[in-house]
Amino acid sequence: MSEAAAPAEPALIAFRGIEVAFGGKPILTGIDLDMHKGEFLCVVGPSGCGKTTLLRLAAGLLPPSAGRVLYEGHDIVGPQRDVAVVFQDYSDALLPWRTASGNVSLVYETLGTPRDERADRIASVLARVGLAEHADKYPSQLSGGMQQRLQIARCLAQEPKVWLMDEPFGALDAITRQSLQDEILRIVADTGTTVFFVTHDLEEAIYLGHRVIAMKPHPGRIAATYPVDLPHPRDQRTTPEQPEFMHLRRVLLEFIRGTQT
Amino acid sequence: MTPKRLLLLLLSVGVAAFIVGIWQLASNLHWVSPIFLPPPDRAWAALLFDIERGDLASRVLLTLEHMFYGWLLASLGGILIGSAVGISSTARAYLAPTLEFFRPLPASALFPVLIAFFGLTENMVLVVIGFGALWPTLLATINGFATVKPRLHEVARLMRLSRRQFILSIALPNAMPEILAGMRLSLTIALILSVTGEILSGSPGLGYWIMLQARAFRAPDLFAGVLLFGLIGYASVQIVSLLESWLLRWRA
Ligand SMILES: Nc1ncnc2c1ncn2[C@@H]1O[C@H](COP(=O)(O)OP(=O)(O)OP(=O)(O)O)[C@@H](O)[C@H]1O
Ligand SMILES: [Mg+2]
Repeated sequence: MSEAAAPAEPALIAFRGIEVAFGGKPILTGIDLDMHKGEFLCVVGPSGCGKTTLLRLAAGLLPPSAGRVLYEGHDIVGPQRDVAVVFQDYSDALLPWRTASGNVSLVYETLGTPRDERADRIASVLARVGLAEHADKYPSQLSGGMQQRLQIARCLAQEPKVWLMDEPFGALDAITRQSLQDEILRIVADTGTTVFFVTHDLEEAIYLGHRVIAMKPHPGRIAATYPVDLPHPRDQRTTPEQPEFMHLRRVLLEFIRGTQT
Repeated sequence: MTPKRLLLLLLSVGVAAFIVGIWQLASNLHWVSPIFLPPPDRAWAALLFDIERGDLASRVLLTLEHMFYGWLLASLGGILIGSAVGISSTARAYLAPTLEFFRPLPASALFPVLIAFFGLTENMVLVVIGFGALWPTLLATINGFATVKPRLHEVARLMRLSRRQFILSIALPNAMPEILAGMRLSLTIALILSVTGEILSGSPGLGYWIMLQARAFRAPDLFAGVLLFGLIGYASVQIVSLLESWLLRWRA
């Protein structure tokens, strides 16, 4: 386990006996989970098992039907300023009437950043996701991958303590995906950010995570937790060649196959 | 301009020319008495003559003023009231039926009521135009607020947008396509009501002038006035359409 997840520290985000039901139908049941500061937690599981629902609980967008969701020991009653969410459906999460820089600017407007500082900050954030040349384009003029990078840029501007990411790199080509994976790992290493990362890509989960949570559907629950004992910093070329990586990949693959029968 | 758009333009000009041609023919061959339908060349000559004589321009200006200020009143009122109602889903639910009741009321039916209040004044005309032209913009604004996607509501919550920021950065831009379409409709209503208002109040605009021509059986001048109205309506809608395509340039 990573040094950040030392047992003495209280959980940054904690799920306690969570039940979620929609219209009487149980969606999530018996969720108990602690996330520690600086931890990178990946969540995998078949479609419809409740990964997004779990993320929405942590975001304060959805109250549980039973149980508690705690942030720094307090019940989450709504969205928090230092928690950023990257949504699965990136095109709906952007403001189509604002350019790329306008979308990032929204964050600085709500934070009350002085007007004359905004331009530089927007430019640097867009540059970090490789959108420097597209600052004046509207979302409708950007590709799916670029829109998703814009959503990530907007969260970067927020400088959050916690990232909640819902299959953020699914729409990206391999090269862009790898560079953003490394970017997010770098942010975590630099700033001690905590990440809750939903993905259906098992290798991505292993590559990024300190821990991988595997969920089962009907109703959604946590079926297994796998610590990832791979050294940091991770490397796109060598990490996947390590025996631990290959071992975990096989275990997770078998798990996923098992949920589908 | 693409060749396709050029062709469309040529065709539409052709159709207009064709209609004028039929009109000329109908008059020349006395299908319709020129007392009721003067030929286009005479209507045109009358138009030029009336413009040259001098008082037509100021009348057109007055009518444009009525139309513009009435429209502005309606648009601002529609957006402001619409925002106030649209921001709260409860207010929407309570007020929408009442608004739907007022909407189909013919604004011209208000003239007698408002004449009693304001007398035959310019303000009365403006209020009627404002009221009559209010609805498309008002209902479009309310609807635009109601159609903000749930995801954007969540984004607003996550970013802790204030109510004012939500209205200005999300709800109004989201409503903008509908608001602009509503404002375009309002413009036509405003023009119609300016004419009616001028005729009723005796305000010396183009509407009143047309009525005088009709009373004097000056068919060519009457048609000249109608032509002018057509032109005003067409040009103003074109201007708003231009504004629209600029404001909505973010759309794919
Ligand atoms: N608002 C809602 N009302 C009713 N049912 C819902 C609602 N949101 C989610 N569900 C149901 O809850 C279950 C879990 O949904 P969720 O979106 O969390 O799955 P997921 O694991 O994120 O799936 P995917 O991998 O496809 O994104 C699904 O069966 C879904 O139909
Ligand atoms: Mg999901």
